Amino acid sequence: MREESIQKTDEEIAKLVQSGKVDFFEILIERYEEKIKRYSRKFLSNHRDIEDVVQEVFLKAYKNIQSFDPKKKFSSWLYRIAHNELVNLLKKKSHFSFIDLDVFLPYLSHDEHLEEKIDRQKMQKIIDQCLDKLEPKYREPIILYFFENLSYQEISDILEIPVSTVGVRIKRAKEKIKNFCQKLGYKYE
Amino acid sequence: MNEEEKKSIKERILEKIKSNQVKMRPKIYFLLKTVFIIAGVIFFLFLTAFLVSFIHFHLRVSGLWYLPSFGLKVFGIYLRSLPWLLILSILFLILILEILSKKFSFVWKRPLIYSLLAIVFIIILGTFIFEKISIHQRLLLEAQTGKMPPPFSPIYQRFGMPKFKDFHRGMVEKITEDGFLLRELSGEQFNVIPSKEIKFLFEKIKEGDSVVVVGKREDSKILAIAIRKIDDRFRIFERRIHGFPGLK
Repeated sequence: MREESIQKTDEEIAKLVQSGKVDFFEILIERYEEKIKRYSRKFLSNHRDIEDVVQEVFLKAYKNIQSFDPKKKFSSWLYRIAHNELVNLLKKKSHFSFIDLDVFLPYLSHDEHLEEKIDRQKMQKIIDQCLDKLEPKYREPIILYFFENLSYQEISDILEIPVSTVGVRIKRAKEKIKNFCQKLGYKYE
Repeated sequence: MNEEEKKSIKERILEKIKSNQVKMRPKIYFLLKTVFIIAGVIFFLFLTAFLVSFIHFHLRVSGLWYLPSFGLKVFGIYLRSLPWLLILSILFLILILEILSKKFSFVWKRPLIYSLLAIVFIIILGTFIFEKISIHQRLLLEAQTGKMPPPFSPIYQRFGMPKFKDFHRGMVEKITEDGFLLRELSGEQFNVIPSKEIKFLFEKIKEGDSVVVVGKREDSKILAIAIRKIDDRFRIFERRIHGFPGLK
């Protein structure tokens, strides 16, 4: 099974699981466990909470795998489940805002490729220092973009918001981070 | 640390899958879920359009529709008399429609304002169709003639023939020396006495006219501060006597 799956894409493996070859699900866990853990860690500090979220994400993914469309990206689908889990958990802890005006009005699309000019590693370091100061709605797109290296389109699929809103949130998040960093005395260029 | 905690996340997940503690949902489950959501959207669109057309019908029948033309002096009465429960129900239904339609990627990929406008447009279109087929006139008549089942009949009667404290809608039955006799939809009769300021309006009114009257009620008298002749497009009084033409 292992040799057979090395060359296969996530979507091909998910298709095998859908067809009844459930053992292949193990490969998907191996490929994504650390990523989902890293993603959860940006919102949660308790080790036990993080482990519970990761476990729940994969159990839900298995339970609902027949709803996955193999023509789409498996990673976006799995991150969407993780997003829902984290939102539910943060709602319980009252850290999540229900009102979201960002998705109401249309925005001019923000150029994604401009971000590529910035050194991602450098940016990651800066963001990491001030991340906990950001509200979850800004924290999430910026984590997905700078730490998980996902595109605006993928982030839009995960958060189920328009691509233009993703651009606006990343832009606003960077402005907020800049302010926080300056207040804290960190250098932001 | 117990045995369960020592296991890796992967081991725990696989154990739950292998022991059938977690089962894969079949494809038909997701297919049915989508069908239910689509059916739900259609049902709520239909229901919302029905309620909007009902409010419009209620405003016309009660005469409330004509109140804003009396100006600011009756605006308070107008606001108090609006069917707020129905209006709030419609806003709630629009919220449900927005939540349901956001399950589809073609909706959430665009700003919320677009889907909201699309929902409002479909509701207006549905309202227009309901009005074209005179559905509420027919249903009100069914309620009045006892053909409508009990849970719905009183609701229809209540909204179809509303009563307001300082606002009356009816037909001029007889012109008297100091005013006219007004018969309301409920059958009650009042002696309407117009104030000096609106005396000139009273001269234009003749027997058989449909009117709306604003004024304080004192026993069987109404001291009118505003009167307006209205176009009885629903022929409420005529229907009460002869039934709705075209309804078998």
